Amino acid sequence: MKKVIYILSFVLFLGACDQGFEELNVNPTKPVQVDVANKLTALQKFISSERYDNWRANLIYQSTMMQHFATTAGYWSGDKYTWNKGYASSLLDRYYENAIKTVEDMLVQLEEEGAPEEMKAITRILRVYAYSRLTDLYGDIPYSEAGQAVISGIFLPKYDAQSEIYPDLLKELEESAAALASGTSGFGAADVIYGGDQAKWKRLANSLMLRLGFRLIKVDAAGSQAWVTKAISGGVMESNADIFYLQHDTDNRNGNGEVFLADGEMRMSKTFIDFMQNASDPRLPILSARRLDGSTATADLIGLPNGLDSEMLMTMTGEENTDNYAEPNRSIITGVEAPMFFQTYAEVEFMLAEAAERWGLAGGNPEPHYNEGVRAAMKMLEIYGPAAAIADADIDTYLANNPFDSANAIEQINTQYWAATFLNEYETFANWRRSGFPALVPVNYPGNVTGGTIPRRLTYSESEQSNNPDNYAAAVAAQGPDELTTRVWWDVP
Amino acid sequence: MNKKLHYYLMIVSFLCFQFTMAQNRTVTGTVSDNTGSPLPGVNVVEKGTSNGTSTDFDGNYSINVADGATLVFSSLGYATREVAVGTQTTVNVSLAEDASQLDEVVVTALGIRKETKALGYSLTEVGGEELSTIKTPNAINSLQGKIAGVNITQNSTGAAGSSRVIIRGSSSLSGNNQPLYVVDGIPIGNENNGSASLWGGSDGGDGISSINPDDIESLSVLKGGAASALYGSRAAGGVIIVTTKSGQGRDGFGVELSSSVTFDKVDTSLQDFQTEYGQGIRGRKPVNLVEARDNGLSSWGARLDGTPVVQWDGVERPYSYVGSNLDHFYRTGTTFINTVALTNSTGNSNYRLSASDLSNEDVMPNAGLNRKTFSLNASTVLAEKLTTSVNAKYIIEKVNNRPRLSDAPGNGNFTVANLSPNVDVRFMEPGANEDGTERTYSTNTFSQNPYFAAYNFRNEDVKNRIIASTSLRYDILDWLYLSGRIGIDHSTIRRVAVEPFGTAYKPLGGINEEERRYNQVDADLILGLERDVTDKFSVSGFVGTNSNHIKEEQLNLGGNDFIVPGLEDIGNTVSQSRSRTYGERKIGSLYGSLELSWDDWAYITFTGRNDWFSTLSFPGKTTPNDDFYPSVNASLILSDALNMPEFVSFLKLRGGYSEVAGGAQNPYSLSLIYEIFGNPIQGQPLGRVSGGTVPNSNLVPFSKSETEIGLDARFFNNRLSLDLAYYQNETTNDIVNVATSIYSGYNGASANLGKVENKGIEFLINATPIRTEDFSWNTTFNGAHNKGKVLATDDVDSDVSLDEPRTQNVRITHIVGEAYGTIVGVSYDRDPSGNIRYEIDAEGVPRAVEGERKVLGEGVPPLTLGWTNSFAYKNFNLNVLIDGKFGGQIFSGTNTVVYGNGLHKATLEGRESGLTVSGIDAATDQPFTTTVAPENLSTYYGEINDIAEHFVEDSDYIKLRQVSLGYSLPSSILKNVFLSSVDFSIIASNLFYIKRSIDNIDPESAYNVGNSQGLEYFGVPSSRSYGMNINVKF
Repeated sequence: MKKVIYILSFVLFLGACDQGFEELNVNPTKPVQVDVANKLTALQKFISSERYDNWRANLIYQSTMMQHFATTAGYWSGDKYTWNKGYASSLLDRYYENAIKTVEDMLVQLEEEGAPEEMKAITRILRVYAYSRLTDLYGDIPYSEAGQAVISGIFLPKYDAQSEIYPDLLKELEESAAALASGTSGFGAADVIYGGDQAKWKRLANSLMLRLGFRLIKVDAAGSQAWVTKAISGGVMESNADIFYLQHDTDNRNGNGEVFLADGEMRMSKTFIDFMQNASDPRLPILSARRLDGSTATADLIGLPNGLDSEMLMTMTGEENTDNYAEPNRSIITGVEAPMFFQTYAEVEFMLAEAAERWGLAGGNPEPHYNEGVRAAMKMLEIYGPAAAIADADIDTYLANNPFDSANAIEQINTQYWAATFLNEYETFANWRRSGFPALVPVNYPGNVTGGTIPRRLTYSESEQSNNPDNYAAAVAAQGPDELTTRVWWDVP
Repeated sequence: MNKKLHYYLMIVSFLCFQFTMAQNRTVTGTVSDNTGSPLPGVNVVEKGTSNGTSTDFDGNYSINVADGATLVFSSLGYATREVAVGTQTTVNVSLAEDASQLDEVVVTALGIRKETKALGYSLTEVGGEELSTIKTPNAINSLQGKIAGVNITQNSTGAAGSSRVIIRGSSSLSGNNQPLYVVDGIPIGNENNGSASLWGGSDGGDGISSINPDDIESLSVLKGGAASALYGSRAAGGVIIVTTKSGQGRDGFGVELSSSVTFDKVDTSLQDFQTEYGQGIRGRKPVNLVEARDNGLSSWGARLDGTPVVQWDGVERPYSYVGSNLDHFYRTGTTFINTVALTNSTGNSNYRLSASDLSNEDVMPNAGLNRKTFSLNASTVLAEKLTTSVNAKYIIEKVNNRPRLSDAPGNGNFTVANLSPNVDVRFMEPGANEDGTERTYSTNTFSQNPYFAAYNFRNEDVKNRIIASTSLRYDILDWLYLSGRIGIDHSTIRRVAVEPFGTAYKPLGGINEEERRYNQVDADLILGLERDVTDKFSVSGFVGTNSNHIKEEQLNLGGNDFIVPGLEDIGNTVSQSRSRTYGERKIGSLYGSLELSWDDWAYITFTGRNDWFSTLSFPGKTTPNDDFYPSVNASLILSDALNMPEFVSFLKLRGGYSEVAGGAQNPYSLSLIYEIFGNPIQGQPLGRVSGGTVPNSNLVPFSKSETEIGLDARFFNNRLSLDLAYYQNETTNDIVNVATSIYSGYNGASANLGKVENKGIEFLINATPIRTEDFSWNTTFNGAHNKGKVLATDDVDSDVSLDEPRTQNVRITHIVGEAYGTIVGVSYDRDPSGNIRYEIDAEGVPRAVEGERKVLGEGVPPLTLGWTNSFAYKNFNLNVLIDGKFGGQIFSGTNTVVYGNGLHKATLEGRESGLTVSGIDAATDQPFTTTVAPENLSTYYGEINDIAEHFVEDSDYIKLRQVSLGYSLPSSILKNVFLSSVDFSIIASNLFYIKRSIDNIDPESAYNVGNSQGLEYFGVPSSRSYGMNINVKF
């Protein structure tokens, strides 16, 4: 009898050896899945990104290369065309582990849950937007194999050629637009950009198609025209209510705004100030203010030339202090709760003007589109706040004094485009390379790495050379040296 | 009737103080050996009882026994004798030597007691007095240098800091390599609750430090896999079994009092900086307050000449050497340890109840710890064949201001070490202005005022810990038993850390409130047997099952930017963050052991253990969640089996093979999880994938297989003994981080691809060269040499990077084919003949060119040696321990920084008339020679400052580590008093370095206890300790 008891108690213990282990190893503090809508909100925040890459890629490099900003500070590499590899790769360093990882994960979840096509469409549009930012800035990038470490087990993605990425992006936009109709999407209020309004997403898909279609102009003019035509007939943005932007708040801060909080070195570039001064642009006192005292009086707003350091400025003007120059207006546009613009209605109107000019599309007359674009660009500033509102009468005056000049249509349209994309320097840089306008005069600072020319791309992450050497080497072999002067596929000279 | 009365009287008498109730007869006498020399320490026991005593230094004893008693005289190495007392009151006995009677019993795995004869592996048992003679706040540190193959370093983590114990080399590239600690049969948690990294931080203490050294009876170190295979998946780093004192061993009621006091003084002789030039730059004294503050820690000034020069606070003081700031700032630390223990032992039960208080004031001002320990060990016979025992310990520990280590913010050590020779740190007190803001001495806000760091920063934690276990044993039959044990280790740590309002680098301050809970429940059920099958053939063995369950939880509340100055509360902050982490895991096991022995001279033992892991289980997972660990070991007592020459008293050969495991301790890491994070935007919550590492659902623990052989030989009647061990172990499937491209969305993945190998020898030589009536001298020499090598890392054998210090020019890295944990850092750029390349700058100053990163050394010294000498003269004893470590290197962050700021003696060269430098001009690749002007020396030396190669040096040392001089009151005095023993000793430790290869720092001053050894950066300076102990038993 005793023996039986002993054996029984042993068996009991035996059976208990791994009982309940599977359930125990499930984390009680973290969910095994979250609502895809929450991921959408996060994705939109990730696309606007954070201070890190907005500081380095958006402002330090592109804003100064495009001569919106200028500075004498040495670490603002874009002003002098020097090469800081960590700054240059900053968008890559952040986007893949946030935006790209999230969007690829969302597509898998939407597929598994059998979500309606319109939700997938919205996700695909955002995906196209994120990749377009990346490929426009860097050229060949991981695309088909990106963000897939867990999904497909690909730890070392290959770099896809831009010539293959672009057609796929455009196809994605086309299919997504077709899948969208009207009404509210399943994402509902989680969509903090459009509130789930499918019609707006459809117009956005076509507007992005218009933008990406135009990018092809130098490398494939016929293809460019075809996509532009398709986009316009599909229906693009119709007013400032369609602007693709994210409104930030104090808990989720605008990356540019955080830069302005931490960095006071940037000034308005002479190129940009002169452009606005020469035309009495009503945007001048809204976008800029004098560093010294915040004055927005026209006579007080002077732009700093690009490519200077303190010593050179001293030699040139006898003064190395830059407080008398204009800086971005710190009471209106530099706050952490400011909106982050990704694509505006003004840009769409400018592209319609160019389509009319080149191919007689969109009604065939560029002038009304041009005027509408200027008006939209000025009116949209009121999204920053009431202090940024420009009266309609002032816009009328501006247009009367600076009428559309059909002899220089492309230049004029794209110069306005350049002014309208201030602070979304990714778009400024891409369109400047595509169109060649405005004609910026490069600087030639001692020690620059571009031979005194404006860079044509930014460079890849240094970690790739040790972590993903084979694919990195293949990309360099295919595209050209990993340098600031190498051109991306659509940026034909 | 007589018997009952007798029994009753015995019980009554046992329950009272022994000296108040006289028993039937007092017997005294002398025990000597067969030459007539008195034998001290011989056990004299009344047969059939637990009434016993032992002979004093003169071989005398005195014992009260019942009528008709028989006395049993026994001592190690001598044949036991029994003498019936009869009517005598004096019984003198002489004992014959019997070297073959080596039935020392030691504690092995799972608490099973075995004879050392039967062990096929190396095991060292250390008695409690090794730990209680020289007491340290972390008990394990007293063993440094005493056990071959056990490499103990405290490093510079402070009195309440962790200790690093590595047995036979590190087995895992990135896992925890410290041993498993088992206290009274149950494993206890030994997590390091926080450590310093390159950005600074404090060491949060570990688990073993909770055990009071006065409570330790013995400590068994199971070094290799063969010894610890029964612990299976937790045994990869070896096992240390701690047995605390019980009531057994002396009859009746007893009281033991121990009191010790130790004084610690910073060893200023370690630091030897220049004292000829003072604060300033370019060879000039600061001319105004701005300059004095801009160059707060720069000692490139003029020669000290006593003239008044303005300092950081605007006051002019003489430009002369002010004495060692280490002396000025650090105070004399004190440690008081008081323990009182009550024991009682009757026929069927015994208990020991103890209470202890440890109060320590660290050499760092305003830092210290208080630890109170209460413990109870009791065992009793519940019924026929059923015995039970209970062990419980309650520890409450309060630590104030653990020192911040490594980087400068909050690290007062950094400032004190770096002040110029003419700047006296004492003028920086008080650390705060009247408004509470920090009194800064430099425009660099990260240079901390050391008094502000010591008095205004707050870092307090309180730990409440219970370690308790109970066991029950039922002797089913003579040869069959069933025993069960269940134990718990539960601790709660509540910590608050404050960077006050007014801190120079963080003006609005911040606060962090944290609570950690740890809970481990362990239960065993064992069925065992011991049987002599035939005359010569015996079998013993057991099968058992174990369940181990660990829960950890951490709650964290952080606040930044105080609103109302002076109110240090989390509610008074502008922004808060909060987090909670939780982890739970379980292991279920089945194990068994079988020992076969033949004629008491041949033994072979087989063990096996199978562990099932919850961390490897997951719904839907198909790969196994368990693992099997076998071992075999054998022992041959050649001296019993064969005829040996006369001088060979004992010769044993042993060998074993084992497989154990480690790692895979992280729950929830098999699958991808998500999280809601941050704050909602426009009211919408944010969700995303949690974590940046690709989960590996097939991750398994790493395996470690080991082969060991050894020999245990004793000569000349045990006057000389030699223990040698040779081992070889290999870890496979070590868990490593596989690099991924960040474009994959993740920054790493875990895989079982690593391989590490360790080979080594251990030896222990013990000799008693002199043994006379009055005087004896025993000497022990132990040593170990371990060669660890990294055999594989991931699929492409990439380097595995561990920590780097704040200078960021060196990193501990595992490289395939090199030693474990090599120091890889920036080297000089040299031409093929070895000449250094310099870039000559615009002012003609040669600046050393940074070369590539190279292996500069290994962080863990492979050779460790310890030499103990014990002298006994009558009632006095003297013990001296010298230890040393050789073959390793250390990167000195301290030397790097003081080189750059002109405090290092090597930077004196050239200050008067310039320094001649020769090398290769990097621009032309031609040799050059130039003289660097005195005002440019800081530029020249500043460039060398970036070259890690210059600051990685050998960390070899030989140190006089412990000296203790003790006196025991003779029994002649004790007889007349009610005391049974009084021991008094004077101790000193960390006295001085007999040899030290690196200057200015203590070679054992790394700032963490993890796998990245070999990095030193401004820890608490080492101190010497002096003190005394008294121990009274009655």
